[in-house]
Amino acid sequence: MTNSHASGPWRALRWTVAGIYVFVFAPILITASVSFNESNRSLFPPRGFSLRWWDRAFSPEWLEPLLFSLQLASLTAAICVTLGTPLAFALTRWRFRGRMAVAALTLGPLMMPALVTGVGLLQLFQIAGARGSIGFPALLAGHVVISLPFAVRCVGISLQGMPHNVELAAMSLGARPWRVQWEIVLPLIKTGVIAGAVFAFVHSFTDVNLSIFLAAPGQIPVTVKIMGFLEFGFAPTLAAVSVITLVVPLIVVGIVQWFFGLGDFIYGDAR
Amino acid sequence: MGTQAGFWRWAALAVPLGVLVFFFALPNALLLSASFLKSEAAVLTDELTLENYREVFESRLFRGAILRTFVVGVGVGLLDVALAFPLAYFLVRTTSRWKGVLIALSLAPLLASVIVRTYGWYVILNRNGVINESLMGFGWIETLLRLMPSTGAIIVGLAHALLPYAVLTLMSALNAINPNLERAAMSLGASRLRTFVHVVLPLSMPGLIGGFLLCFSIAISAYATPAILGGPATQTIATQIYVNMMTLLEWALGSALAVVLIVSSMAVLLLTSRVGAKKAAP
Amino acid sequence: MATRADRPPALALKGIAKNFGAVAAVRGFDLDVAEGEFVTLLGPSGCGKSTTLALIAGFFPADAGEIHLRGKHVEGLPPFERDIGVVFQDYALFPHMTVAENVGFGLRMRKVAKAEIASRVAEALDLVKLGGLGERRPLQLSGGQRQRVALARALVIRPAVLLLDEPLSNLDLKLREEMRAEIAALQRRLGITTVFVTHDQGEALAMSDRIAVMNGGAIEQIGKPADIYERPATKFVADFIGRTNFLPARVLARAGEIVDVECLGRRFAVRDARAGVGPALLAVRPERAQLSPSPDGLDFEAEVAQVLYLGAKREVHLAGPGGVELVVDAANLGDGAAPVPGARVRFAAPPEACLLLPA
Repeated sequence: MTNSHASGPWRALRWTVAGIYVFVFAPILITASVSFNESNRSLFPPRGFSLRWWDRAFSPEWLEPLLFSLQLASLTAAICVTLGTPLAFALTRWRFRGRMAVAALTLGPLMMPALVTGVGLLQLFQIAGARGSIGFPALLAGHVVISLPFAVRCVGISLQGMPHNVELAAMSLGARPWRVQWEIVLPLIKTGVIAGAVFAFVHSFTDVNLSIFLAAPGQIPVTVKIMGFLEFGFAPTLAAVSVITLVVPLIVVGIVQWFFGLGDFIYGDAR
Repeated sequence: MGTQAGFWRWAALAVPLGVLVFFFALPNALLLSASFLKSEAAVLTDELTLENYREVFESRLFRGAILRTFVVGVGVGLLDVALAFPLAYFLVRTTSRWKGVLIALSLAPLLASVIVRTYGWYVILNRNGVINESLMGFGWIETLLRLMPSTGAIIVGLAHALLPYAVLTLMSALNAINPNLERAAMSLGASRLRTFVHVVLPLSMPGLIGGFLLCFSIAISAYATPAILGGPATQTIATQIYVNMMTLLEWALGSALAVVLIVSSMAVLLLTSRVGAKKAAP
Repeated sequence: MATRADRPPALALKGIAKNFGAVAAVRGFDLDVAEGEFVTLLGPSGCGKSTTLALIAGFFPADAGEIHLRGKHVEGLPPFERDIGVVFQDYALFPHMTVAENVGFGLRMRKVAKAEIASRVAEALDLVKLGGLGERRPLQLSGGQRQRVALARALVIRPAVLLLDEPLSNLDLKLREEMRAEIAALQRRLGITTVFVTHDQGEALAMSDRIAVMNGGAIEQIGKPADIYERPATKFVADFIGRTNFLPARVLARAGEIVDVECLGRRFAVRDARAGVGPALLAVRPERAQLSPSPDGLDFEAEVAQVLYLGAKREVHLAGPGGVELVVDAANLGDGAAPVPGARVRFAAPPEACLLLPA
């Protein structure tokens, strides 16, 4: 199967793979097509063509949670890279006694179900008497916590990929330590920081499991709002809004991939 | 290498660590403690008790939910590994110039919120959905199939959502296998099938197990898909947590259920690292 | 040790030592390098040569000893306060800067004026034959070109000492030999004091004014290339540089500069300054040994085990008395004179080719 790609087994593999791609994209494409349905029911193949559900998808009712999610995700991304960069440095380069514990704490949110973190935060805010903070502040805290590992990992990867002796070289040429960090290290981790921001953004924007516990009236991420409406039926408007929630991360990732490239950061350390 | 005092280092770490401790470690600790507290009329008291756990493990509703959750986890894990393996193998070995695009496409669904994907499954699986319509159209069935809500629907929907994770894990594992091993086997007389069975499959085992465990652990804690594709009769731990926390306000019970979920996830994590360690050993 | 009279050494190491945990990487030795001299630290991996270089550069502090750079104590100073230029084995070029920016970095740190930086960078690039490539990035360059950029970057700041850590190891053979000659020529032209680290004896012999052969954290012998090669002081040095045949021998008596030696049944006289009476090692280089009898030197019978044809010469492997393995380099004088495996021949060496080493 390795060399002769014209062989029988390889062709069978190609057809299988094509089928799997169909499996993967069909539901997404179906959702998109449903949003153009004439009638109010989610049927496939769609009967008739109409843009009125899209019209509704851009109404204030839906634009508000969409913008809310965008703001939340952007702020989450910014905070994650700000907090994640020192953590990445600490975990990849420094040697100190609590290292294992810090590593566990940093990667913990990746291992724990987001659902559980959401439930825990709900209780935290309740017990701290900060009921009023449920909503944006609580959501921000939760999103930062679950997205932080991505930022740390991406910055860590670019730190590890830095050529080994450049810092020594800079020092031997007369650069003082802060100069070395500023002129040599920081520019070289730029791509890691950007990738970390992107992954954090997407993770926050698409989150459901944590957000359902921490949303408040008027402060609802779009994903949670959709879930709420699903209880009442599968109106095509929801389909349209769902497609928008797919397009936004797609555009963000697309732009960053075009200008900076994200390839190195997807495999991560499992290369 | 820092010639500066360790003080500045710890200062830089203080905020991120503080955030993690306060908003991650602490809430989980609260959950743990809440699970051991007695709840009266939906209010948490200070009384320590094992009531909650007793109810979790004795109530038929909860036991059903736990069982279903594990069935879903196993089903999703198996289905995902079965689908991801050929895909990952293809992506790793193909020489097509569209390789990068194909890889990106296989991972793109990660960008879509669960809602987008699950919505599509609703349209496919419901009473008047695509499957029923086409099966009726071909005359293969007489009455409409009730495909959802059901455990099967949850498994299919989750498997679909988590496939990219399995693909990523398997691609990374397969990448580590030296292609020359397959050539060596064939040069020694093994047919393509035998090479696959005797060389590729055994070497992929750790990756397959890793992929299974990853999908399993994410599947058991999923909320959205079981909520949408399941119903009152098909509850999972996650949906029960939601109901108890948000609707019934039974926080103690909800916490106990959450702890069950945590323990299961941790167990899976341990298993995964064991498998990983075994792979590194030879 | 030839230092120019009345001038302090450009670099002086006194009692320098460094331990990593329980391992003594550098054992406490002295070394003086004169102004403009090219000294090579030569030895196998783990001998401490790279560690010594790192100590001179200040990448980590020594556990003991002093380092003087042009008379100034630097052992307590960080690298950016020492007047050094370093060329790393992996070049360590800054990937996000152009070639010109890389080369100009040290000048920028020294707050040299912009215009002067530009002209000196151009000059340095011309010196290493990379003129005009200033705007390229390291990733766009070949290995050999990157090596030259690294060199230019270290030279442009006119350091008191140039430190090179196995800079040629990552190049292929042809490039290595080419760069070897270029670096040596450059150094002679600029007169920069240089400390060069390598495990390749060919490089050491070709480029250095003096070679310090290191083993286990200490210097086993230091001297001019010819001295090291022709008069190795220990078995390690004789074995590490070039190839040597070692035979068990015995010093019987000494009369001034001449000693009476007995080896494998033969007694003859050898000129030697140091050896004491008692057991010793007789060393003969393969190219100084011969297959024809030597009346007043070493001479005994051996059997040809294998002959390797290498074009200009034949490597004749012999089995001597007691099974000792010997090698003779026989110049290729036409096939008539070629020894055959299985033949019994003489292994001999005139007294001038015999060297006595401690047993």
